[in-house]
Amino acid sequence: MSEATLEGRVRILLVEDNPADVHLLRRALAHAGLDCELTVIDDGADALAMVRQGGQFSPVLDLAILDLNLPKHSGMEVLEEMRSSQTFAKLPVIILSSSSSPPDRARSEEFGVRRYIVKPPDLEEYLRIGWDVKELLVECRTQG
Amino acid sequence: MRALRDIPISQKLLVIIMLVTIASLLLSGLVVVAWDSVLFRRSLQRDISTLAHIVADNSTAALAFDDRETATQTLASLRARPHLAAACIYGSDGAVFAEYLRVGAGAGCPPGAPADELRFTSTSLIVRRPIVLDGRRIGTLVLLYDLDEVYSRIRQYGQIVLLVLLGSSIFAFLLSSKLRAIIAEPISHLAEATRMVSATRDYSIRAQQLSQDELGRLAEGFNKMLARIQAQDTELRKALLAQEAALRETRKIRDSLKTTLASIGDAVISTDADGRVVFVNHVAQSLLGRPEPDVVGRHLDEVFPIVNEFSRAGVESPVTKVLREGRIVGLANHTILIARDGKEIPIDDSGAPIRDEKGDIQGTVLVFRDVTPRRRAEETGRLLASIVASSADAIFSKDMNGIVTSWNKGAEQTFGFSAQEMIGRPIAAIVPPELLDEIPRMLERIRRGERIEHYETVRRTKAGEALNVSVTISPLQDPLGRITGASTISRDITERVRAADRLARLNADLERSNQTLMLTNQDLERFAFIASHDLQEPLRMITAYSQLLIKSYSGRFDSEASMFVGFIVDGTKRMRELLSDLLEYTAIRAHDEEPPQLVDLNLVMEHVRQNLKAAIDESHAVVTNDRLPVLRAPGGHFQPLFQNLVGNAIKYRSERPPRIHVSAQKVGDELRFAVSDNGMGIEPEYHSQIFGLFKRLHGKKIPGTGVGLAICQRIVERYGGRIWVESQLGQGATFLFTLPDIAVDFVTGESK
Repeated sequence: MSEATLEGRVRILLVEDNPADVHLLRRALAHAGLDCELTVIDDGADALAMVRQGGQFSPVLDLAILDLNLPKHSGMEVLEEMRSSQTFAKLPVIILSSSSSPPDRARSEEFGVRRYIVKPPDLEEYLRIGWDVKELLVECRTQG
Repeated sequence: MRALRDIPISQKLLVIIMLVTIASLLLSGLVVVAWDSVLFRRSLQRDISTLAHIVADNSTAALAFDDRETATQTLASLRARPHLAAACIYGSDGAVFAEYLRVGAGAGCPPGAPADELRFTSTSLIVRRPIVLDGRRIGTLVLLYDLDEVYSRIRQYGQIVLLVLLGSSIFAFLLSSKLRAIIAEPISHLAEATRMVSATRDYSIRAQQLSQDELGRLAEGFNKMLARIQAQDTELRKALLAQEAALRETRKIRDSLKTTLASIGDAVISTDADGRVVFVNHVAQSLLGRPEPDVVGRHLDEVFPIVNEFSRAGVESPVTKVLREGRIVGLANHTILIARDGKEIPIDDSGAPIRDEKGDIQGTVLVFRDVTPRRRAEETGRLLASIVASSADAIFSKDMNGIVTSWNKGAEQTFGFSAQEMIGRPIAAIVPPELLDEIPRMLERIRRGERIEHYETVRRTKAGEALNVSVTISPLQDPLGRITGASTISRDITERVRAADRLARLNADLERSNQTLMLTNQDLERFAFIASHDLQEPLRMITAYSQLLIKSYSGRFDSEASMFVGFIVDGTKRMRELLSDLLEYTAIRAHDEEPPQLVDLNLVMEHVRQNLKAAIDESHAVVTNDRLPVLRAPGGHFQPLFQNLVGNAIKYRSERPPRIHVSAQKVGDELRFAVSDNGMGIEPEYHSQIFGLFKRLHGKKIPGTGVGLAICQRIVERYGGRIWVESQLGQGATFLFTLPDIAVDFVTGESK
């Protein structure tokens, strides 16, 4: 795991309807020592709307973490919309879902998702997601 | 001349005409010139002699008086003759007395008078004339006359002749080129026709007859000859074709006769007039039990021993009889041929004489046949008749008009009509009115030679009762193969039809309930899958947050609260295991659509050992296996199958270190696998229930969800196999399962 530090705050969009998961993820990010500004959208329709508006209400993002199973519209639809929008086409995306189904994985890969993480049942494993996120962010920074 | 021989006639004619013309002209020219020059010389001679005479006479006086001047003047008068080159008068002393020389003439007077009176030299004519006075010679006159004139005259003549020659040649050439065509053209025409005929052999070509002369007659003769040749050629061809056709026909007849004799079903032997065999066909060879070389050339009696079937007495050879009586003879009944191997064959035969055109007997031909098949057929016929008579099935026949021609006992019993009642009556009597149109339809099929088999329909008894029958109808043929009627076997299947109806109903019921069951089962499975899947979400929350609770607040819990949270953690962990096993269980479905792949079970066992490494190390277990087959099967469920069984064997061990062995063997058309252990064993009364879902025989001391063996059973059944256990408490256990033979590479008996 990379020990490189990240300069400044990172801005992460989290699309997740389960507040318990939001809380766990916040803990995980804090656990990895990430200084981040987390924007949370808890509804598929809202997320789609945000993407369509080009994110004018949000600051420039470093990363999006998407759940797949969302109310109204799925995370996959949000992802698809992102890939066809100018603003988010190149945004690094992590899928964090309870689904481990191969079709979901395959489709995510098609859309250039950087990590596909199945929500772990164990707390320790959950906290490790923070490190994964940090590692990916460092990777993205160094790649420019 | 040789060169002339090969050139075309037309040129030959040209050459001949030209040569003849030139030669004759030349010859006549030469004669004319020669004759003319002779005449001319003669006249010149006379002329000059006369001139000399006159001049001599005129000079006499001058000479006599020695008057040279007068003599010279006299001579000078000769100027009038331009060709006279010189004139000289010699005195009696022989010296020149007077002379005349033409201006430009070459030579003067010769020094002495010449000896001859008249002499021709190459260039001149010299004439000498004595000058006489009173009978006395007083001098001599000599005249030299140039012959230029003669030569120029000859030259002129020559030129004229040449001109005439040239003109005549051209004229002859022109004339001949027209004339020679008259001869050459018919000849070359004829030659061309001859060439064409010989090149194409087309005798219909004719030469054109261009004239009525010899050439015309030649062409005519040639044409006549060609016509004759053509006629003969046509005739010859026709004759040849006819001959060939006849030969072919003869050959065909001979071949067909030969083939007929060779392939005829009857045995054929022919003999010469002494009874010696000359021909024996295959059937005869096989009946006699002798090959051809053993028969041909021998007397028929030697190879054709026949006896009477009952008396065993020898029967006279038909050949002997034919030769004696000279007519066709048949063999008496009950004749037996004793073949070479002693086999007795009942035969039927006839012999006939072979006569030449004069009617003399040249030999005999003997035709005979094995009548065993006929006898057998007669027996079969009797047997069939008795079967028909005693059959419980209705057997009857009808003609093509549907009129009954036979009616057996079975038919009487089935339909209630006696034979007497039915024979001669329409078959329609046993057909229900609504099915009457069946009869013409069936008769039509029979007419086409078809057979109707096991046709199920309804017939009517005499009492009017409906019968379900299965009928088989076959066409009946007369010996010429014409269909004259049909035989029917009709079986009463009323009972069977009823039973089949009942069975169909039951089947349909079963099908329905099966369908319902399957749907229910599918619903249940779907429900189980969704439930276990969706249940995992809240469970994950409970797990994570109870862990978070312990992590964050454990210091503030009293011992009882800690215990409670511990129970929550345990409970959720167990529930998670249950759900995950349940998911695995429901995930095993018939993946028939999956493509089969090669599965090396030896590799599968390697993976199992790796996955269970912790448990194996901890328990000091030894896991071995035979060399296992490579399977060709869809889906990859073999690893959970083996892993569950091996894992169980480790889990339910005795005090001894576990010894686990996996073996495989082929039993019938199945592969049988066995996983044997030396563990705690299972009491027989639980053997069947351990494969049930969530069925466990042990408490919390040995952890487990009770899904493992259910998964195993589901996997094995999914491949169409069975699974069971053989075990006694405390004596280890052997779990056995079968798979249909889907091995692609398997050698049993090796241990690993």
